[in-house]
Amino acid sequence: MDICKLSATEMAACLRSHELSATEIAKASLERIQKVEGTVDAFLTVTEDEALAAAAKVDAQIAAGEQLAPLAGIPVGIKDNICTKGVRTTCASRMLENFVPPYDATVIEKLKAQGAVLTGKTNMDEFAMGSSCENSYFKPTRNPWDITRVPGGSSGGSAAAVAACEVPLSLGSDTGGSVRCPASFCGVVGLKPTYGAVSRYGLVAFASSLDQIGPFGRTVDDVSLLFDAISGEDKTHDATSKAGNFAARIREVKGLRIGLPKEYFGEGISEEVRAAVLKAVEEYRAMGAEIIEVSLPSTPYALSAYYIIASAEASSNLGRYDGVKYGFCGDRGGSLTDMYETTRSEGFGDEVQRRIMLGTYVLSSGYYDAYYKRAKLLQQNIAKEFEEAFTKCDFMITPVNPTTAFKLGENVNDPVAMYMADVCTINVNIAGLPGLSIPCGLGKGNLPIGLQMIGPKWSEGVLLGAAKCYETAVGGFAVKEM
Amino acid sequence: MDIKRLAKLARLRIPEEKYAKMESDMEGIVRMVENLPDLSSDGALIDLNNTMELREDEIKPSTPRDEILANAPKAVAGCIVVPKTVE
Repeated sequence: MDICKLSATEMAACLRSHELSATEIAKASLERIQKVEGTVDAFLTVTEDEALAAAAKVDAQIAAGEQLAPLAGIPVGIKDNICTKGVRTTCASRMLENFVPPYDATVIEKLKAQGAVLTGKTNMDEFAMGSSCENSYFKPTRNPWDITRVPGGSSGGSAAAVAACEVPLSLGSDTGGSVRCPASFCGVVGLKPTYGAVSRYGLVAFASSLDQIGPFGRTVDDVSLLFDAISGEDKTHDATSKAGNFAARIREVKGLRIGLPKEYFGEGISEEVRAAVLKAVEEYRAMGAEIIEVSLPSTPYALSAYYIIASAEASSNLGRYDGVKYGFCGDRGGSLTDMYETTRSEGFGDEVQRRIMLGTYVLSSGYYDAYYKRAKLLQQNIAKEFEEAFTKCDFMITPVNPTTAFKLGENVNDPVAMYMADVCTINVNIAGLPGLSIPCGLGKGNLPIGLQMIGPKWSEGVLLGAAKCYETAVGGFAVKEM
Repeated sequence: MDIKRLAKLARLRIPEEKYAKMESDMEGIVRMVENLPDLSSDGALIDLNNTMELREDEIKPSTPRDEILANAPKAVAGCIVVPKTVE
């Protein structure tokens, strides 16, 4: 049995039937990491000792005949912007190269409480700003399907680690598509939950009104398993989550109405992506779903609204990195202001500095009304358009990315071209909705293509249930042999 | 676009050799985000994702001081040290 190729659900069953021990699973995952990391570079820190200790605890539970929690003994990779007590959390930035959090994020507390085996921290674009994972201060991650290509971003390490079978599950974060884009490029399943569905306590803030932690897995059931473990209101840390009425998990799509927003299938979407997504739509039609066209007229303005709002919030959130309380500190020989400027100029990479500059610009005196206020008004319009469309359909299907994974280095010198990769995903964050990315075929060069499902707030059960129907109909999703 | 002023506001120092690239990048990005419709600005500007809710102001245990200071670039006698700010 190749343990690493098992899904989390299968591993959980093997633990319960005593076919495998948690230590055997943890060792298999660590060996796989050792074997493929030289090629994939998905991890920034591997926590071997902690992983084996957590697995030994689960084995002791099994020996004592105790009831296991759903994620007990399952290896999970964690994006390096989620705080882990005693384990370096860098945000892939020089600024936090040596930062060791004194506390766990709420999602980490929840995973530890279940006995999950945390195998390490995964690579990302610095401070989650990017769509390719190339903005990491430390190294780029490579796409397991073609190592000359990017894994997508910003949670590229988390997606690549799952695609390369280093771990069955991982956590990422999604501010404008940072879970769904790498899921699509790496051929895995990735969920961006409803805003507030998962606690953000301990997630290093980028754009707080848009950020959301989300799970990756190779199957829909695995993503459901991890989502169930991390979701729910965080009563200890108010304002990091919300109470919501989650829809029940559906079992069939017969009679459901699926909306195709016409603006997401037009210019800029590559022919192979459009064809693969529409082929999946036909699968749904064959399963008895009704397909209707819907319209989201503000879509052409989404990139503007997103980059204004996200950068404005980022410029405020990243104000805390000043070389005083924690993180990198530049030369201390001059004035306090000199120290701030040196710290921030040397500690932040180019993309982070560009976003801080843009955020500062749109919030600065004389420009606030022209940019930030208009973007916030547009945000309200975008949310209203979604609400109206959801009176006509139960959920929508769109592409995740306009193209399949691009080459490493292809867009690094052109920020605007890089931003265009987010065009199909950002509106979901702007409106606070759940979005799910699932594989829907392979394009040229055997590169995965992703399909995005968007639903009303708290409709994760509908999206995951409908995704499971598709996964079953096509006989499961392809796993890359490495 | 006055890059120097903007960098000052953002507490960033853009080195001379990166100045031209930052300027052209920023102009490209601003051209992109200028694509906004004319919207009426009457009506309240509420944050759809973040309605404000007040909580009770309660005293709760916090992270111990030495654990917090362990990440500080410079700490002496339980305090964070910064360059002199008052002559």
